[in-house]
Amino acid sequence: MSLFWIVIRQFAENEAMATSKKVITREEWEKKLNDVKIRKEDMNKLVMNFLVTEGYVDAAEKFRMESGAEPEIDLATITDRMAVKKAVQCGNVEDAIEKVNDLNPEILDTNPQLFFHLQQQRLIELIRNGKVEEALEFAQEELAPRGEENQSFLEELERTVALLAFEDVSNCPVRDLLDISQRLKTASEVNAAILTSQSHEKDPKLPSLLKMLMWAQDQLDEKAAYPRINDLSTAMLEDPPV
Amino acid sequence: MNNHSNISNSLNNTTTSTSPQDLGLHFLEMARLGLPRGLCDMDEDEDSPTELNTINSSGGFLLVTPDKLSVKYTNVNLHGHDVGVVQANKPAPVKRLVYYFEIHVKDAGAKGQIAIGFTTESFKMRRQPGWEPNSCGYHGDDGLLYRGLGKKEPFGPTYTSGDTVGAGINYASQEFFFTKNGIVVGAVEKDMKGPLFPTIAVHSQNEEVQVNFGQKPFAFDLKLFEAQERMKQQTTIEKLSLPSNVSYRIVRSYLQHYGYEDTLSAFDMACKSTVPPIYIAQENGFDEQDIMYALNQRKTLRQLIRKGEIDAALGKLSEWYPQIVQDEKSATCFLLHCQKFIELVRVGALEEAVKYGRNQLGKFYGLPGFQDLVQDSVALLAYEQPQESPVGYLLEDTQREIVADTVNAMVLSTNPNVKNLQGCLHPYLEQLLRQLTACCLVRRSLNGDQGEAFQLHRVLNSIKKSKC
Repeated sequence: MSLFWIVIRQFAENEAMATSKKVITREEWEKKLNDVKIRKEDMNKLVMNFLVTEGYVDAAEKFRMESGAEPEIDLATITDRMAVKKAVQCGNVEDAIEKVNDLNPEILDTNPQLFFHLQQQRLIELIRNGKVEEALEFAQEELAPRGEENQSFLEELERTVALLAFEDVSNCPVRDLLDISQRLKTASEVNAAILTSQSHEKDPKLPSLLKMLMWAQDQLDEKAAYPRINDLSTAMLEDPPV
Repeated sequence: MNNHSNISNSLNNTTTSTSPQDLGLHFLEMARLGLPRGLCDMDEDEDSPTELNTINSSGGFLLVTPDKLSVKYTNVNLHGHDVGVVQANKPAPVKRLVYYFEIHVKDAGAKGQIAIGFTTESFKMRRQPGWEPNSCGYHGDDGLLYRGLGKKEPFGPTYTSGDTVGAGINYASQEFFFTKNGIVVGAVEKDMKGPLFPTIAVHSQNEEVQVNFGQKPFAFDLKLFEAQERMKQQTTIEKLSLPSNVSYRIVRSYLQHYGYEDTLSAFDMACKSTVPPIYIAQENGFDEQDIMYALNQRKTLRQLIRKGEIDAALGKLSEWYPQIVQDEKSATCFLLHCQKFIELVRVGALEEAVKYGRNQLGKFYGLPGFQDLVQDSVALLAYEQPQESPVGYLLEDTQREIVADTVNAMVLSTNPNVKNLQGCLHPYLEQLLRQLTACCLVRRSLNGDQGEAFQLHRVLNSIKKSKC
């Protein structure tokens, strides 16, 4: 076969593939869905993993009793972790740092970035509370030396100190630092570091699986028309476009 | 689709218990899934290459050792059509993320004209892989990659005596890749369709090569490579964004579905006190009332069954939902009686168990769909230590859970507002996971069966792996 014909044939194949998307009817699709067996145990594990990772300790305890699913880690460690998280969320950063060190001093020793972010959050809280002098002292003594070690720390520090330059912070370019979301960001960073130190994944599996579902549906869209689930929270199967 | 009148028909219809309307039948299947033989890792059991194919090789130019894992060029090469080529006995399996094999060059012979690659079944067994269409090979003497019809390109280092070289197919990226001494040399697009045979070639005097189809550890860390490939895909996936709080809603509906009422209230309490609080309940509106249906009764029934108090559960059921236990030959009644029998065996009340079995299980014996479970249950009596027996799975907690789930589904189906019976059987979480699995399977089958299937099991077990 000459190269010419190979090319022509390839071209025709590509053409056919592009135009003829396989259509899978609702009936056929439901049959396929029924062939998939998901074990209850596995779903229980998934839910337990969510409760544990997100820190719902009471719910995890109840779920263990009601479903028999065993948590992957000691539930007591969740309580400690959540106390740290809560402290940051409420702006008690000093308290949070102490609690982390009680839990495991290695966490902050081995995570300079996390430690810096906690100190930065502490500075933000001082500024928020109008303790200008204390804030300046803290910035110079605790944060500036770290900034010298790391360029990105220095930039962060400068951005934070800039809060002091504005009388009306509600309108300044760095006002996002005072936002609740900044606390949440720092809190989730500590949370993740504690989970990692407990050899646990820092994110629950369920959201990843949901994303995987969205991705898998998009991938299959390229090859077939089939009933999709567009609204994840109702799992409603929608007919393929004809 | 089924509507309410159908449901009440099926529930009131006492004569045709095995009609497809009996929702409980679904759970018989689940009860069987508890069996080791029900475990559904059915798919990855493809044949893999194990040795070299001595029948279809370029006989006369090369010698294959009796273990069929080594080749030697025994001739003197004169031209381009006296290559010693040999394929594996089986094509590379496709239902996986990566296929990979290795060769070790024992002796580079006179010229080191060794090649490793992949070829199709009809490959001319006198030519180097890569010299002909539908073949691909990484050559030792020049380090070039050959891909059919005189196409060659600079690729990697040359290789010679003492080197270990590998060839693989990455089904996720649709690439061939090659390694030298455990390190990836490069990858090229996989532009040929299978089945593809691992192929090696020798082409000068005394060249000798050993092949490793995985019987021995590879020089290359395949597990790590696979993990990295999965991670690449995962990174793409993680970039997608989810509607806010969707995971919370799905977890919540799961707890509602199965009547885990205490967990649900602890979860709701905690959601309200997080910063910022998560309010899910009121957004669902009408749907919410439906799924809250009989929550407390479902919880009570589940607790009784989980504790093994089947008589009490049956009592509550006939008090609250007589229509569910009205049909003595329904799957629900069967599972409850079966469980009662199992509980009697568990506590060692064997005589009572025999009597109970005769009264309640005997009638299911001849019925298709029930018979194997009856047999397994009765078989418990045959063992001194039933837990250790092949039917020991019946004594596990998961079996109680299945019975509890059956009753739960039946109670849900009595809700006059129920629109879809499937919804009584499967919580949203399960529907989503089934959709995910089906999408992956169908996509793979439209892609020549290439690539690994989604398995919830593997995803969950990676939790355990990361622990140690």
